[in-house]
Amino acid sequence: MWAYIARRSIQALFTLLIITILCFILTRLSADPLAQYATNPNMSAADKEALRERLGLNQPMPVQYFRWLGLAIQGDLGISFFSKQPVGLMITQRLPNTLKLMVTAEIITILVSLFLGIISAVKQYSLLDNVITTFSFIGYSMPIFFIALGAMLIFAVKFKEWGWPYLTTGADIWDQKDPMQFIKHMILPVSCLVIISTAGYARFIRTSILEVLGQDYVRTARAKGLSNRMVLYKHALRNAALPLVTIIGLDIPYLLGGALVTESVYAWPGMGRLFWEYAQRGDFPVVLGVLLIISTAVVAFTIITDIVYTFVDPRIRLN
Amino acid sequence: MKRNLYVLFSLVVLASVLLSACGAKATEAPVATEAPAATEAPAATEAPAACAPTGTEPIAFPDGGKSVTGAWSQEPDNITPYYTQMSYAIWIAQLTLVGLAEWDENGNFVPELAAEVPSADNGGVSADGLTITWKLQPCLFWSDGEPLTSADVKYTWEQVVDPANAPLSRVGYEKISSVDTPDDQTVVLHFSELYPGWQTLFTQGPNNSGSILPKHILEGQTGLESNAFIHNPNVGSGPFVITDWVPGDSMTLLPNPNFHGGRAKLDRVQIKFVPDPETALAALQTGDVDWYPDFSEGDIETVNALEPAVHLLVVPGSDFEHYFFNLGTTAGVDGKGVSDVDGFCPFKNINVRKAITLGINRQAFVDSLLSGKTTVPATQWPNSSWTNSSLTPDAYNPDEAARLLDEAGYTLGADGIREGDCDGKKTKLSFNFETTTKQIRVDIALAVQSDLAKIGVEFKPIHTPAGTFFAGYTDGGNMPLGKYDMAGYTTGFYPDPMSGVLDSYACDTIPNKDKPSGTNNYHICDPQLDELMAAVNASADPAVRKTALDAVQQHIFDQYYVVMMYARANVYGYVDRFVPAPFGFFSNLNWNAELWDVK
Repeated sequence: MWAYIARRSIQALFTLLIITILCFILTRLSADPLAQYATNPNMSAADKEALRERLGLNQPMPVQYFRWLGLAIQGDLGISFFSKQPVGLMITQRLPNTLKLMVTAEIITILVSLFLGIISAVKQYSLLDNVITTFSFIGYSMPIFFIALGAMLIFAVKFKEWGWPYLTTGADIWDQKDPMQFIKHMILPVSCLVIISTAGYARFIRTSILEVLGQDYVRTARAKGLSNRMVLYKHALRNAALPLVTIIGLDIPYLLGGALVTESVYAWPGMGRLFWEYAQRGDFPVVLGVLLIISTAVVAFTIITDIVYTFVDPRIRLN
Repeated sequence: MKRNLYVLFSLVVLASVLLSACGAKATEAPVATEAPAATEAPAATEAPAACAPTGTEPIAFPDGGKSVTGAWSQEPDNITPYYTQMSYAIWIAQLTLVGLAEWDENGNFVPELAAEVPSADNGGVSADGLTITWKLQPCLFWSDGEPLTSADVKYTWEQVVDPANAPLSRVGYEKISSVDTPDDQTVVLHFSELYPGWQTLFTQGPNNSGSILPKHILEGQTGLESNAFIHNPNVGSGPFVITDWVPGDSMTLLPNPNFHGGRAKLDRVQIKFVPDPETALAALQTGDVDWYPDFSEGDIETVNALEPAVHLLVVPGSDFEHYFFNLGTTAGVDGKGVSDVDGFCPFKNINVRKAITLGINRQAFVDSLLSGKTTVPATQWPNSSWTNSSLTPDAYNPDEAARLLDEAGYTLGADGIREGDCDGKKTKLSFNFETTTKQIRVDIALAVQSDLAKIGVEFKPIHTPAGTFFAGYTDGGNMPLGKYDMAGYTTGFYPDPMSGVLDSYACDTIPNKDKPSGTNNYHICDPQLDELMAAVNASADPAVRKTALDAVQQHIFDQYYVVMMYARANVYGYVDRFVPAPFGFFSNLNWNAELWDVK
C-alpha cells in the first residue's frame, strides 16, 4: 500500500503542477488586476506603472508564474494584491466558515438522499417514488440563486410581514459563538444546498439499490427466508453503498471551495465569496491560493477514496 | 463498511473543528468598561494648557444603547486610503481616521481637524500659491488620549512620500518640498511647484482621503501597506473607533471619547458586508440592516416601492456616464499623440460625431430607465460649482442628425445603413461599441442602438466584464490599445478639476507602444485643448481657474469629442428608524456620522 501511495503522490504532484499552470493562465487572462484603477483620476500614469512594477505584473507571464510557484512550494501562497494580507491567512480566516456550512449541508444531503433513495428503490414506480422523483428533479433543476432568494423572500421577508416567526436574511450581525444563533443562521443556506444536492445523490442511491436488488445473492437471501428489511439493510444497501463512497470521496474536496452563490446571497463569509470577490479583481495570488487548496484536496481525497475502497470492498486490491 | 464511512465523516468534521480553532481571531480593541459621560467638543478658544482628553478607550456599548447596522457590498481592503482606492476604505476612514478638512452637504470645503480652511484672505494661501498654511484646532486628541498635533500631519506626509512605503498614489504629495511645524497647531506646506489641487491633500472627499496618521503609533515603521495598524487601526481621530473586525463578515465601531466634534449620538455602528443587493433589499425590509448605500440607478423604482418602511434617497453626483469616439491616429498631430492604430475613420468628421450625439434620445432613457432621477449633463463637471453653466445639452433631433450625415456624405444604403467616402475608402456607418456587462449599460446600449438605427447608423454593442474592459495596455486592453470604435463608462473629475483631466485628454498621455502606461483612452490629441487645460492649472486663484475651465468645457462641447449620457447618482435605501444627517455627493453619507441617530 505504501508503494501505491508513493506512486500516486508523485503522479499527484504533476497533476497539481498542470492545474496551477492552467489556473494561472486563465486567471491572468481573465482580468487585469489594475483594471479597477483605469478611470481613477487620482492615479497618474506613473503611479499605475509603478504599481504594475511593484506587483510584478510587468514581468513576462512565465516569470510571474514561477515566482508564485517558488513561494508556494515553500508553503507561502503570497500576498494579496489588494488587501496586502498573506493569502494563507485570508484562507484560514474563511475556511472554517465554509466547512461549517458545507459539511453540515453534505451530511444532511447524504442522510436525506439515503432515505429518499431507499424509499424510491423499494417502492419503485409507486406514487411515492414518482413524487420523490418529481420533487428531486424540481430541486435539481432550479438555479441556486432562485432557491436562495425565494427562500429568503418567503421565510424572512414574508413571514415577518405576516407576523409569523421568521428567519434571518443573513445580513444581520450575529454572535457566531452562540449555538442557537449559529443554527438559526444555518437553516436557510443549508436547506438551499440540500435541496439542490439531494436529487443527484438520491437518484444515484436509487439506481444502485435497484441494481443490487436484482442480483442473484439477494434472490438467494430472500429464498432463505430473510425478511425484506434484513435483505435490504444487510445485503442490498451494503453493496449499493460501494459506489457512493467514490461519489462522496470526490465531493468532499469541493466542500472546501464553498458555495459561491449561497454564500453571497446569505452574506456568509466563506471561501466561495473570497474566491469570487478576488477573482473579479484579478488578484491571482488569492485565486491561485484557493484553487491550489481545492486541487490538492481533490487529488488527496482521490487517493484516500481508493484506499478506503479496499476496506469497504475486500475484492479490491491496490496492487 | 459503516464504520469506515463513520471514520471518513469524522475526519472531515474533525478537520473542520481544527481549522475553526486555527482560524485567525478577529481583532478586538479594548473597550472602556464604563461609558464616560457625553463630552462636548473642546472650545476653539480654550488654551492648550487646559486641554485634557476625555478618555483613552472607545466608549463601551451600554445596555439598551442606540445602535445601527449598515450593509456595504464590499469589505474595505484596509482603512487608510493611501494604500487602496476603494470607496469603502474612504468611507470607513471618514468614520475613524479623519483629515484636515472635508466637503459638506452643499459641496463647500469646510474644516475638520483644522480650525479653518486656508485661503488668500486668512493668509493660508501665499500670493504665489506655493505655500499653504493649515491651522489645527487646539485640544485635539487621538482616541487613546495622545495629543493630535501638527507633528502628525508632517509625519503623514513623510510616510506618503517615503520610498520605503508603497502608497497607490503620491499625486500632489510629491509636489511638497518640505513641511514646517512652527507649533503644535500650525502646519506649513511648501510646494516645489504650483499645485492648485492642494485641497485634495490631507483632506477627505469623494475621490480622495487624506487621513492623518498617528505618529505616536507608527513612528519608525516602514512598509506601511502591510502594517497591522493600517489594516485595522484601534486608535482613531474620527467619531468612531473600530473595536471588532470579523474578516469578510462585519465591523463594529464604538464612539471615540475624544472626537473633536463631541461624542457621537449613536452608541454603536456596525457594518455588515453584503455582496448581493437583493439580500440588502430583503434585509432592509426585515430590519436586519438600517441602510444600504450601494443600490444602482436601476434599483430606484424597486426601493421606492418600499416606502414608507424603507426610504429612497437619490443623490446626483459629479460622476458621469459617457460614450466616446476613438480618435486615434497613427500619424499623430504635429508629431504628437501617435496611436498604434487609427480609430474609426468617419469619427474624424465633427458632423458625424455631432449627428450621433443628436441621434441619441438621452432624456428618454433618463426618464424611463433611470426614473427621471438624474440629468443629461452638458459637460464633464455635472452637479459641481466648476460646471460651465452657459452650456446646455443638445436635445434629441434625429432630423438634424440625418441632415448632418447627409452633409458629411453618408447616404442611406439599401440595407438601411449609411455609407460614404472616408479618406478615399467606401465606409459604412457601422461600428462596435464596447462597455461592461452592467445591466443598466446593457439596457441603455439597446436603446441607443434603436435610436441610431433610425438615422441609418449601425451601433453594435459588445459587453465585456469590467476586469477585461478596463485592462491596461500590457494586458491587452482594447481601449489603451486603441482597438475599439466607440466605448462608454463612468468617470468624474472632482473635487478639484485638475484631477485626472490632463492625463485623460492630453496628447502626450495617449497610450502606445512607447508609452504603454498612457491614460488617454480617448486617443484625442488636440493641441488647442492641451493649451486650454494647462491654463486651468497655471493659477492658484479659483476665479481664474474657473474661467479657464469654462473654456475647456466649451471646447470639448463644441468639438463633440464625447457624448455625455447622464450624471451618475448615488442611490441609498434606509429604514425609517435610522436618521442620517444631511449629506451631499461630495461629502457622502459618512462625513458627519457623529450626528446619525435613531428614532
